[in-house]
Amino acid sequence: MDMKRDYYEDVQFFTSGAITFWLSTLVIGLTLFPFVAKNYYVYVANYMAINVIVVIGLNLLVGYTGQISMGHAGFFAIGAYGTVALMTHAHFPFLLALPVAGLIAAGFGFLLGLPALRLEGPYLAIATLGFGITITQIIGKIKILGERQGLHAPELTIGPWHLNTDRDFYFLLIPITIFLAVLARNLVHTKVGRAFIAIRDADIAAETMGVNLTFYKTLAFAVSAFYAGVGGGLYAFVLRFIEPELFSLFMSVMFLTMAVVGGLGSMMGPIAGASLLALLDLQLRNILGIPYIGEWLEALSRNYFSITGVSNIQMIVFGSILIAIMLFEPLGIYGIWIRTKKYWKMWPY
Amino acid sequence: MKKNLLSVFAVMVMILGLVLTASAEEGVTDTEIHIGQWGPQTGPAAPWGAVARGTDAYFKMINAEGGIHGRKLVHHYFDDAYNPAKTLAGVKQLQEDIGMFAYVSGVGTAPGLAVKDYLMERKIPWLGPSAGSRHWIQPPNKYLFNSYPLYLGDAQLLCKYGHETMGFKKFAIAYQNDDYGKQGLEGAQKQLDKYGLKLVEQIPVNVADTDMKPHIMKFKKAEAEAVLLFVGPGHVARLIGTGKAMKFNPQWFSTTTCGDHPLMMAITKGLYAGTISAAFGMMDPGAIGIGNKEDTNNPSLPLLAKYKKEAFDKFAAKEERWGMTFTAGIGYVEPFVEALKRVGRDLTREKVVAEMEKIKNFKGIMGNVSYAPFDPNDPLCRIGQQEVFLVRAEADGTSTILTDWFTTDFIPMEK
Repeated sequence: MDMKRDYYEDVQFFTSGAITFWLSTLVIGLTLFPFVAKNYYVYVANYMAINVIVVIGLNLLVGYTGQISMGHAGFFAIGAYGTVALMTHAHFPFLLALPVAGLIAAGFGFLLGLPALRLEGPYLAIATLGFGITITQIIGKIKILGERQGLHAPELTIGPWHLNTDRDFYFLLIPITIFLAVLARNLVHTKVGRAFIAIRDADIAAETMGVNLTFYKTLAFAVSAFYAGVGGGLYAFVLRFIEPELFSLFMSVMFLTMAVVGGLGSMMGPIAGASLLALLDLQLRNILGIPYIGEWLEALSRNYFSITGVSNIQMIVFGSILIAIMLFEPLGIYGIWIRTKKYWKMWPY
Repeated sequence: MKKNLLSVFAVMVMILGLVLTASAEEGVTDTEIHIGQWGPQTGPAAPWGAVARGTDAYFKMINAEGGIHGRKLVHHYFDDAYNPAKTLAGVKQLQEDIGMFAYVSGVGTAPGLAVKDYLMERKIPWLGPSAGSRHWIQPPNKYLFNSYPLYLGDAQLLCKYGHETMGFKKFAIAYQNDDYGKQGLEGAQKQLDKYGLKLVEQIPVNVADTDMKPHIMKFKKAEAEAVLLFVGPGHVARLIGTGKAMKFNPQWFSTTTCGDHPLMMAITKGLYAGTISAAFGMMDPGAIGIGNKEDTNNPSLPLLAKYKKEAFDKFAAKEERWGMTFTAGIGYVEPFVEALKRVGRDLTREKVVAEMEKIKNFKGIMGNVSYAPFDPNDPLCRIGQQEVFLVRAEADGTSTILTDWFTTDFIPMEK
């Protein structure tokens, strides 16, 4: 069964033959994907991977440490601007600029973690929300960051490798995503991860047990901001152009929604949530192409909602999916997975 | 034997098919030309969605008249909610799944910049971006043709008219904290330099600002006689309203973005009357006459009246509003349609670009549009329209033409 007898079993990566098999299949599938899929789907996969990185980080903060952030678009913006500015002004190579920008975002995360020591729940949500809004206003004033006119991302080269197609970028992005996912998973199983969980479950109890609240809460913010920063740095090269208004409140809300819909406090959850919602975000546009249902939805929207038909129904379907997941499975997609797994384990009883 | 003949025939048909597809231009068939466009239909920029719907109705009108050289225009437009990641996704999908011959219009600077490299690397023409940004022509691209007159020009003509005709010496500006506002600031300063004047006050306005009292206080303190409003329609309404309440009544000047006078009168509850705004088309000072009034809801320009009857009345949804945004969607793509007509039946992208470059003083429902052969060092070869004129909003919702067309100067962006 799932009983673990020692610590090494807990941190072991390939816990069973089935896991080894499925993870290898996944890695092979991810490697082959860009060779069989159309370029457009590779772009979609890149977009999903960036969201996965951010949401894994956000989940460390929200799901494991029990804090909340409505300002992750701010860290995302710092990462994006940091990477581009370090490359264009300081001539850093990309592989150095990206983690440095992530660390700058982490620095801001640490600062934002300080008020989090005194704030909880909705109060913390508002404080982080304020941060998210403010940071883009400040960026819009800084001359070397292009003010309100935005910045162009430079050509992306790593040594002799010119990354100018979605497929090239995919082979850079997917290993980074896997590396960061494994890092997060391992972090959760260390002393730090246990401290995060202790804070989430009862912070006063954790403190009496010797968990340094100041250190671990600010650390959780910093780590989470680092992930968002790295995601932002990569995002700048997907769009190749960034401006302050991209990093809106809506973006922060989306990240949080992805974490919650995926299932907080798990490793699979944020990956599933970010992948699903990022996919829907880009692909729901195509629902009208589905035979019969598409035509029916369009007529419905045109008659009752808007003259454009297409777009509003897209938002309505998106909202309905969110409501349905939360209503039937408050643990999110991860909860659905657990239930399915249990059902098959017990089958046919 | 019969079977063998059949398979030989099948192979020949396949080879012929391959040869035909290889020689034909992407997005063009015997009967169709596929044209892509993006634009927000949802989200904060949704009011700009009418641009794409205007283009759509215009293309349908052309198709109803028999298309262009026997081909129908198939218009693929999608909602990107003003989110560049979605714009890029939509364009990539359209290009890779169906294959567009060209893209037209497309609202917004950020969404446009996200797809610019993708289109230019593939040599796909993009005509008439729906945003007055210098990024489109600086540096110029062979396959990207601007048509929207830059906001720099609005500021130049407003200051010229304000000083030379109305005799104002104290100009102030409220400018949106972005590229649009910055162009206003630069254009105004350049023009005022010619008269040895300086802006007496320049106040940035953030998109999120709601309280305009501090702004008005500063204008009042500087004793501004004329105030340029390089902000969105909502902020224009707030500034004029707050000014009125604080008994500050300068001459208000606004831009082409607030040139839809019936709409502006409605959102300011009549306070917009007397405001002078720049215009880039939908009226023609030459045809209507300076000093005369024009009701944009019942256009007197024959071409515009035709579009209202043949495109808007027949193909727009019944809730659609006839206004600047909708008609702009037609105006931006007129030069492209003209180029398609000039190319003739043998249609390729290179030929469209060649014909676009030959367009000189083309006149549709906007101002004169001209391009020149591609020169990487000359932004003006792709600028399109450089002229604007001024109109005054009247209390009855009509517009009085104040000036003739005025050709404005291009001021390059700082590097």
